[in-house]
Amino acid sequence: MRGPGGFRNVGGMITATALTKRYGAKTAVHDLSFEVRPGQVTGFLGPNGAGKSTTMRMIVGLDRPDTGSVTVGGKPYAEHRAPLHEVGALLDAKAVHTGRTAENHLLAMAATHGIGKRRVHEVIELTGLESVARKRVGGFSLGMGQRLGIAAAMLGDPSVLILDEPVNGLDPEGVLWVRQLVRHLAGEGRTVFLSSHLMSEMAQTADHLIVLGRGEIIADAPVDEIIAAGTRHRVRVRSPHASQLAELLAAPEVVIIRSEAGLLEVTGLEAAGIGDLAAANGLAIHELTPQHASLEEAYLALTADAVEYRTEALR
Amino acid sequence: MTTATTDARPVQGGPRLAHTARLSFGGILRSEWIKLRSLRSTVWSYLIVVAISLGMAVLMSFSLANGMSGMDVSAAPPAEQTGMVLQSAVFGTYFGQLVIAVLGVLIISGEYTTGMIRSTLSAVPKRLPALAGKAVVLFVATLVVAIVTNLAAFGIAAAIFAGNGVHVSLFAENALLTLGGAALYLALVAVFALGIGTIIRSSAGGIAAVLGILLLLPTVFGLIPAEWAADVMPYLLSSAGMTMFMTIGADPATLAGPNAWQSLLVVLGWLAVSIAGAAVLLKRRDA
Repeated sequence: MRGPGGFRNVGGMITATALTKRYGAKTAVHDLSFEVRPGQVTGFLGPNGAGKSTTMRMIVGLDRPDTGSVTVGGKPYAEHRAPLHEVGALLDAKAVHTGRTAENHLLAMAATHGIGKRRVHEVIELTGLESVARKRVGGFSLGMGQRLGIAAAMLGDPSVLILDEPVNGLDPEGVLWVRQLVRHLAGEGRTVFLSSHLMSEMAQTADHLIVLGRGEIIADAPVDEIIAAGTRHRVRVRSPHASQLAELLAAPEVVIIRSEAGLLEVTGLEAAGIGDLAAANGLAIHELTPQHASLEEAYLALTADAVEYRTEALR
Repeated sequence: MTTATTDARPVQGGPRLAHTARLSFGGILRSEWIKLRSLRSTVWSYLIVVAISLGMAVLMSFSLANGMSGMDVSAAPPAEQTGMVLQSAVFGTYFGQLVIAVLGVLIISGEYTTGMIRSTLSAVPKRLPALAGKAVVLFVATLVVAIVTNLAAFGIAAAIFAGNGVHVSLFAENALLTLGGAALYLALVAVFALGIGTIIRSSAGGIAAVLGILLLLPTVFGLIPAEWAADVMPYLLSSAGMTMFMTIGADPATLAGPNAWQSLLVVLGWLAVSIAGAAVLLKRRDA
């Protein structure tokens, strides 16, 4: 497809079918099936150790699935005639020889596909690496390493971008830049698959979310739906007649938590219903506040049972 | 957007690439060539090999030309004179092979220890062409460096011997074959070590393995007081390697084991095992 602006590499779909991968006795991912579509940013969300990186490595053929398969644009990654033109991947910011300069690293990567020096300098410019391009990568900060990884991913002008935790180590400007870059790339019709363990980051960047926990898919839906589903409406009720009110509100689908005297946290009822019931029974109410769980809470609720490495609360 | 402090360009996908990008073996060779010459360790390794070869040629030449064995070298038969000059010129190969072996391991183990291998194999997902590309580039680069070095070493040796009345031509019988054979051996050792490095994937382990094979095995077999140990000796990599260029044109009666050409086959056998093992494991393992 050629437009007036030059070639547009419109995205191919990533299709995973029943992917399973074990490392020794440990199952990294189990029976994953999902699709990542072009023209949108798909977030790949999950706690550390959930299997996100493993899945991404399997997409580009670095790790071999024990069972199942994954294709990009209808073919296994290795079958493409120009793999770097098909998929650009930032899998690990450290996938660079520390003794080589950034520019030489990119030139070597580009040479495999006959990509010219001009494109190398374009991606150096795109990622803001001009000043350090001739320095050896060993001295790079984490953020510069990430930029170099993104530059390498962009080299082949790929139709699919796979970015594993791309904002790790970036300063706030860098984070904003990555967010805008991936939005822009998806807007051009490319497929963008972005992993993160931070819900807040995803909520601002992704259109669609695939949530992974302990190697299995917990949710695969548009971001809005996941947020809505994960957000339980709670109503905070303060009343001098808390006990009486709690008795009146009690029902199988209603959960009431009394955190302190005169304060109820009611889940399963709308604020209006509670207010009406109180009025009908002549009970005074001092506060009636609908609470919305934050995105972070929605995510935690979603993955609560699927966290591999749990941190015990400090005592 | 605010770009006050970021030096990255505001969002754009960048200019479009013409749809001509294509993975090819020629491209892989160019890529590996860029990789080889863009690391200081490679450049240093080759410089050390050159220095060792030339240095050893000087030492050996003075030592032999001044009649180490008490004989007048200028009175020796021409074939013997040629032999002494050649021996001086390629003497450094024995030490150079150790440096080249380390280089061969580092070419690939350096990619594993830094994570570069994931970039390499993402660009060449069929994997074996990446190994083949490395092998070809390493072989050719080492061969060229070693040929030039050996010619220079011969020049030095010939000049020193000339001072003692011994005049040997580069075109004397077997001279070019010997110099070329020594260079070929170094190039083959490099590829052998590349295979070992691919199998072991760690720099320390890979270097220990190749140096063990090159240095330790002959010593161990030499210490075993049994006839079979002595019989095995000529088939060890470094022994066969020395034989393949030091005995070109030698009288078969003076050779206990395989001759030069048979020794070349032995060296190729070692290389085949190493590269085949590397290929199988590279293809099978997760990167």
